[in-house]
Amino acid sequence: MSAAVAMKAPVAPRQGPVFEDLSVGQQVDTLSKGPLTTAHLMRWSAAMENWHKIHYDLPFATGHDKLPGLLINGSLKQQFILQLLKDWAGDTGWVWKVKFQFRAMNLVGETLSIWAKVTGTRAIEGRYGLVDLDLGIVNGEGKESTPGAATIALPFRNGAAFPYPFVPPEA
Amino acid sequence: MPVMLTDEIKGYIGRTSAEIIATDTVEPGAVRRYAQAIMDEDPGYAPGAEAGRYGGPVAPPLYPAFMFRRPLGTPDALTERAADPDFDGLVSAASDGLPELPLPGRALLNGGSEVEIVRYARHGEAVKQRSRYADIYEREAKNGTAMLFVIVETEYRTTNDELLLKVRKTHIRR
Repeated sequence: MSAAVAMKAPVAPRQGPVFEDLSVGQQVDTLSKGPLTTAHLMRWSAAMENWHKIHYDLPFATGHDKLPGLLINGSLKQQFILQLLKDWAGDTGWVWKVKFQFRAMNLVGETLSIWAKVTGTRAIEGRYGLVDLDLGIVNGEGKESTPGAATIALPFRNGAAFPYPFVPPEA
Repeated sequence: MPVMLTDEIKGYIGRTSAEIIATDTVEPGAVRRYAQAIMDEDPGYAPGAEAGRYGGPVAPPLYPAFMFRRPLGTPDALTERAADPDFDGLVSAASDGLPELPLPGRALLNGGSEVEIVRYARHGEAVKQRSRYADIYEREAKNGTAMLFVIVETEYRTTNDELLLKVRKTHIRR
């Protein structure tokens, strides 16, 4: 096999859930990230070229900003939330809206569990079903740091694929 | 009586940035480093991903919001402020194009975001953004100190004006 061929990565569409299979209270399989080390935080800071010292400069974080240690970037935590929802919705659903608050700090060394559960469902007739979820990120001690919510569009069992780019229900 | 929310600060509400075009297009190498850093090695992010629903290889959902980097030939804050003990490493004013709030020495915390996603950016696309100070208000922390909540709304579009993503971000200054 040539190197050029080896680089190809064929992608089969990933079938996500269909709207009719969901009900309030249903849990999404938790996504685990960690333990997150200073190397993980450095890699993320470099990838996005954001040099906020509270994520890698311990004397600055604890001395100047009076923090208890190096913080796991909120900008990294939000990526984990998007990954959980995107992978769950698959290539047949769409993560339309996501919101979250960074209420508590997560410190380097922690392992994060990203969770979501269904809180509501509503059918937009002839288009798609919308699923509301609560979500968050808990650390190894079970402390919630990032409460939030999302709305995801899913296809009906016998319905056609809905348009991409996504068309919001009010449009 | 507001401590941080002066009339001068209030005057920033509603101010809008110029339209800014991202430093680079959606580059496969930058997408790979980003995907590896967030530990989401989705095959749809790789060069050669089949066209499918997304029309070719794409970047992670929030990638457009991270494409506004320092262009070559512009001032390097890391070097210019190397001797400043209060420099926190942030070069935020350069990233969203909004005038920096006059709050020197005040820490900046990321309070959270509301995101609306319309489609993913594809490899090779050029992206632009426009931001706006949607609101600025003051609250008292549990310990009685003042905190300023700065709400910044940003729309990310391709340079062909196709909407990708809207983000409503809360910055906390204290």
